[in-house]
Amino acid sequence: MATVSNNASSDAIILSLKHIEKSFGGIHALSDVSFDLRAGEIHALVGENGAGKSTLIKIVTGAYTPDAGDIQINGSVYKSLDPSQARSLGIAAVYQEFNLLPELSVAENISLGAQPLGRFRLIDKRARAALAYELLERLGAHTHIDPNELVKHLTVGEQQLVEIAKALAIDARILIMDEPSAILPSRDLDRLFTVIRNLRDEGRGVIYISHRLNEIFELADRVTVLKDGQTMATKNVADTNHAELVSLMVGRPLTDMYPPRDNTPGEILLEVRDLCVEGTVYNVSFTVRAGEVVGLAGLGGSGRTTVCRALVALADVRSGEIIYQGKPAPRSPAAAAQAGLVLVPEDRKTFGLVLNQSMRFNLSLPNLAQFSRIGVLQNASEKGAIQKIIQNLQIKPPAPDISTENLSGGNQQKVVVGKWLMANPKLVIFDEPTRGIDVGAKAEIYMRIRELTRQGVGVIMASSELPELIGMCDRILVFYEGRLSGEISREKFSEEAIMRLATAVKVDEE
Amino acid sequence: MAVTYESTREMVDNQSRRWLKFLRDNASIILIYTIILLVIGIAALSNENFRSPSNLVNILRQSIILGLIAIGQSVIALTGGLDMSVAQVARIVGLTVATIFAAEGSNPDLIIPLIILGLLIGMAIGLFNGILITRTHANPFIITLGIASILRGVNLAISSTPIRGIPKAYLLIYDYKIGIVPANVLVMALIWVIAYIFTTRTRTGRAFFAVGGSERVARLSAISYNRTLVVAHTFCSVCAALTGLFLLARTGVGDPSAAEGMDFQSIVAVALGGISLYGGRGSMIGTLGGVLLLATLSNVFNLLQVNIYYQQLFLGLIVLITVAAYKSPRAA
Repeated sequence: MATVSNNASSDAIILSLKHIEKSFGGIHALSDVSFDLRAGEIHALVGENGAGKSTLIKIVTGAYTPDAGDIQINGSVYKSLDPSQARSLGIAAVYQEFNLLPELSVAENISLGAQPLGRFRLIDKRARAALAYELLERLGAHTHIDPNELVKHLTVGEQQLVEIAKALAIDARILIMDEPSAILPSRDLDRLFTVIRNLRDEGRGVIYISHRLNEIFELADRVTVLKDGQTMATKNVADTNHAELVSLMVGRPLTDMYPPRDNTPGEILLEVRDLCVEGTVYNVSFTVRAGEVVGLAGLGGSGRTTVCRALVALADVRSGEIIYQGKPAPRSPAAAAQAGLVLVPEDRKTFGLVLNQSMRFNLSLPNLAQFSRIGVLQNASEKGAIQKIIQNLQIKPPAPDISTENLSGGNQQKVVVGKWLMANPKLVIFDEPTRGIDVGAKAEIYMRIRELTRQGVGVIMASSELPELIGMCDRILVFYEGRLSGEISREKFSEEAIMRLATAVKVDEE
Repeated sequence: MAVTYESTREMVDNQSRRWLKFLRDNASIILIYTIILLVIGIAALSNENFRSPSNLVNILRQSIILGLIAIGQSVIALTGGLDMSVAQVARIVGLTVATIFAAEGSNPDLIIPLIILGLLIGMAIGLFNGILITRTHANPFIITLGIASILRGVNLAISSTPIRGIPKAYLLIYDYKIGIVPANVLVMALIWVIAYIFTTRTRTGRAFFAVGGSERVARLSAISYNRTLVVAHTFCSVCAALTGLFLLARTGVGDPSAAEGMDFQSIVAVALGGISLYGGRGSMIGTLGGVLLLATLSNVFNLLQVNIYYQQLFLGLIVLITVAAYKSPRAA
């Protein structure tokens, strides 16, 4: 259970953020965030995807410059930090993706910023190894991590400890841990928690980000909830409970931007049986009917996106079956697309668009067969179809030759959706269909999804935006750590119900 | 610079902006053809020999060798790769055909079968390059460099001295003229038109741009990455084989140093023409400009009797200047 340390010295505030604002191209990532961290505390930061956690972290580490607000560290006030300044102020972050050089040894990695020098200003290898050993010893890791071992030979858990040792090497007073447990096998968790508690007891401040509420109750002293770029509350962990945190994270009104459902699902289109993907998805089974919208919910890393990718043969399926239209699903993305099974991917800039090409090029890409005769493109038929889709989706500006990198996020997303609408799909998988786009474009996309289902197209909608799942879906499947943790039918939809399954809170715990 | 579209803008404004957009979108092509005109203009004013019709025709004919190879190289560059084996492919085709001619006593009946054989050799090597690249997922540059090294060894084994015995009729490929214009220049012009249509107006052509622009997006858009790369490399090596056959007609002997340096020169021509060496951008018209500029410059240098060493130096400078000039504003 959590223990709030009460000695006077540890109550000193070492980091204080006041009314921080940050927006990206008109979208507010943080609109008013205040947060403080005491010496000798573990302060958890929670919130849904897109609530602003990573933006906040990047402001503290100096990667982003806030638009407004103050950053107070050890009593001095800053308008913004740069990364090297942040480091010299004793701020270090351990991300999910490590900043380690795999081909170098543990000791070399730990001392990378400041190599101990000896005679003739050559690197003193012995001092370097000794330093690494000492730091690992403080983490209790000296017995199983050899400073001279290459980092690539370490397990993920060991690499994480090396990252923490790097933070100790610069004597970090403020340590940020971004979902450290998400990448760890559960047997390494206890060791990590012990390390974090020791760091706290040495008087350091730890900001701990996690989606797993259970961990927060086990580890943290205080917790701050972010939602839509605002601080909802900061609580002593001892004074709160799961249910309160969940409602603080989600509670927001439904809007009427979702067109009503007006058809009944038909035949089974897709059947997934015991799908397993190495290390990310375990024994997932579900079906999708024609004309049905099936939602996939779950926090980041829950396996939701991997399932989407596996359906179009983009992930290495280890075992299990995917039956599409009564036959085993195609084995390549190209074959899947030809069979009408398409993925509108999560990250439009990386997976959806050839950015330096025109809208026309991108819209045509999966539909070239439609527009060509013996391999030669027929200008007229291509132009006609493209004008139609641009009008239909209200893509702005309606200029087929404009390069897609000059479009706004919403219009880029419309192009990605449009290129698949033109392909007359049978089953469309939308992964985060409305991430980072404005309300108007969202409504436009919801309308197209309804239109698809009216035509008998099956739709899978993976999203971290709960209101849109609730507004659009017939059923919602919730993922937790690579497994289906439950299915919710339309009459039982609520954000609390989804979050409970997504954070694996058992009802009887409350 | 992003073009902004606002409904309130006047038509007049639209008109001028359309022009600006045209200039911006085609800046590299406009630039290179302007430079060609400048070079031709200066050379024609200052050198009598240069402006003679026969010399101008000669420039065109000289540009065929680089032109054929550069068409193939353009396709590879569009897909985001580079083919370092083109010169060795051209050479192995020339040497093989020459060896068989020599062994069969310069039999002119063999001309057609041997041309077909040469193209088949090119096709086979291209297929092999493509399959190797898609199976290993290695960088095309490295794979083709390895293949080039192997072919270089094979070529040295075939012959290290010129092979004689090419039938007279074969030399017509280089010599035959319609009026003052060599037939091969006309054929070359036709090949350029075909290559232009191939890259801009066919499914496969679009696939080259898609794969070069973003392999991931292409895969997700029902474009077969493997097939596209294999087709591109086959096409490129066949172009190189054609070059080898053409070179054989020009020199009249199987030359063990044929096409030396053409790997590099073809890349220079492609880069000069504005095809992004990162893939996905550019056009055959640009490459044609690059080829014509290099051919013109080389002609001028020869007329002015500039030392070959300085020519090399100049070529290197051109590459560096082009890369700096075309440094994509999008990279920033």
